[in-house]
Amino acid sequence: MMHEFFSNLESGLSKAIDAGEASPRKIYARELARLGTRLYGGNGGVAWCGITAPFDLLNAMGVTSCFVEFVGAMLASTGVVGSFIEETDHMGYSSDACSYHRAVMGASRKGMVPEPAFLVGTTNPCSGGLAVIENLARRFGKRQYVLHIPQDQSGGNVRFLAEQLRDLSAFVAAHTGAPLDPDALRRAVSNTNEARALMAEAYEFAKAVPSPVATKDLANYGIVMALFLGTDAAVDIARAFRDEFAKRVADTKSGVPNEKVRLLWIQNRIQFKNGIDDILAREYGASVVIDELNDITWDAIDPDEPFEGIARRSISIPFNGSIANRVAHLKKLAREYRVHGAVNPCNWGCRQGTGARGLIEEGLKEIGVPVLNLEVDCIDSRKFTEGQFRTRIEAFMEMLAGRPSPWS
Amino acid sequence: MYFLGIDIGSLSCDAVLIDDDENVIASSVVPTGARNRESIARVSAEVLRDAGVDRGAVRATVSTGYGRDRVDDRLASVTEITCHARGIAKLVPGTRLLVDIGGQDSKAILMARDGRVVDFAMNDKCAAGTGRFLEAMARALQVDIDEMGPLAAGAEGRQTISSMCTVFAESEVVSLIADGTPVNEIVHGINRSIAARVAGMVKRIAPDHGALPAAMSGGVARNCGVVAALRGALGCEVAVPALPDTVGALGAALIARERCAAGAAAV
Ligand code: SF4
Repeated sequence: MMHEFFSNLESGLSKAIDAGEASPRKIYARELARLGTRLYGGNGGVAWCGITAPFDLLNAMGVTSCFVEFVGAMLASTGVVGSFIEETDHMGYSSDACSYHRAVMGASRKGMVPEPAFLVGTTNPCSGGLAVIENLARRFGKRQYVLHIPQDQSGGNVRFLAEQLRDLSAFVAAHTGAPLDPDALRRAVSNTNEARALMAEAYEFAKAVPSPVATKDLANYGIVMALFLGTDAAVDIARAFRDEFAKRVADTKSGVPNEKVRLLWIQNRIQFKNGIDDILAREYGASVVIDELNDITWDAIDPDEPFEGIARRSISIPFNGSIANRVAHLKKLAREYRVHGAVNPCNWGCRQGTGARGLIEEGLKEIGVPVLNLEVDCIDSRKFTEGQFRTRIEAFMEMLAGRPSPWS
Repeated sequence: MYFLGIDIGSLSCDAVLIDDDENVIASSVVPTGARNRESIARVSAEVLRDAGVDRGAVRATVSTGYGRDRVDDRLASVTEITCHARGIAKLVPGTRLLVDIGGQDSKAILMARDGRVVDFAMNDKCAAGTGRFLEAMARALQVDIDEMGPLAAGAEGRQTISSMCTVFAESEVVSLIADGTPVNEIVHGINRSIAARVAGMVKRIAPDHGALPAAMSGGVARNCGVVAALRGALGCEVAVPALPDTVGALGAALIARERCAAGAAAV
């Protein structure tokens, strides 16, 4: 069923793209559909992973890999997530746990998570993800490798993680029967670096006032692109976005007509249909021009020291380390993108979302950027009340309309 | 010319009619009921009848409240946060901190001196600390919600209601009654529970709220027990206008007038 869903999606998107209706978002979605087709293709060789797994390394080794949270997001976006989440009530999951994880565990109980060849857990960004990996490893009777990701970028920490990545490549080789080919890794690193540079350029264009970015354009982009790193597809997608934004900027075409309000989105987007893009654009001329996770926080990887470079990247994600680092990063984005306000969905059950929210709010307020704290389950649409959500968003927009811009 | 504000809340539907000089000509409150549009028609007809004003003399209508998009022929719909702030700035000038406890939402609103919203916080996830919570507690106590206010009089404050969840709190109240706990102590505990929830929101947006002139709006502000508990929780005076239910509708009417003055096309 899932294989059919993804292959239909892929062929539909390919048809549209071939018929001259290509857009960066379609090219990106097609690649996701292709990944889904491979994951659910029944050919084995799949690795379920944590969010900060080294996907370029795994791609270089020919492994179809994906973070488990993808399943939750996918089920939410197709509107069928409820019954999968309910399923985890029988597994000892608390109803307050992160629904990304509850959804994937429910899906595994219903046979909707393909059996992996092995699993790669990561201790970052959250222990919930690691618990899913461990649960799945037990369920399928497969081995897992856990990457212990240190919290800051000291030389010792980078070496510690790089050593684990070398070890991981041996672990993967033991499963695939094919050792890591240094040339394949070199090509993957080159693709990663090229995609990185193109993404950085696209983000530079996104900073323009008015911004070429509409709320939907870069939803989930940074986090999902990690899955394609090391591949030609990553370069193609990144180039498509870069070219599109360059063109829009050259044509002075903004993402939303008559842009009035620029927003920063903190952490994850809401994955089910919710109408926020429409409310923002149509009623307030507002657009989410930057997401916390749409930023390049790492240097290009030295092809002669790939493991060290990948290690630095994994450590650099904004959720790692102290909340002070995270707040500093958000302030940097708010300044660079000249945002008027920020939206923090505070995903239910997520320590990243809720634990830090007071400090984030305070930090952004210091530079004149107010924060709308929602309490949304980004996956479970059954907990969503449209009226309440609308009132909060609209009141925030009305409040912003009555304030001077922090950048004037 | 007249300007109409209509506030469609989950419990009541309120309308206020003002004239060009911002004088309140008439106001009306009806229960919202299951059919929003009927309540809107009723409250509009009532307020116009009481004012003796023809519909054609109404230059613009602004709607607010959770049913704000159901008002036809409106100039605009504006959230209750903005409208309550605007309304209270007219009724209690100088207010900087407003607590509005409505049927299913409670809000703490930090305002600039001119009535603009500077920040706000709302209850999330559940109805604890809202009018619905109070309604459920009144049901458990078998008293009329409008008579609940004075019932806390004379309480020593011995009783707390520890459950945040409306359903569990209701059972807690039932158990307290069964145990023979005096009604005034139970009601006092309920009021404190609501006040603590709302004070938490106030502290989030205004940690140094003590020096800010505070006021309360919304139907629950008619409950003197909750107001007293809120004063206690915030440690400051809390002003309550004469008709707290209609503050949002008044704000909507004032916004209708302002927008017309600013040149918006009236409908
Ligand atoms: S939302 Fe939070 S708990 Fe859920 S996967 Fe993301 S970081 Fe982990």
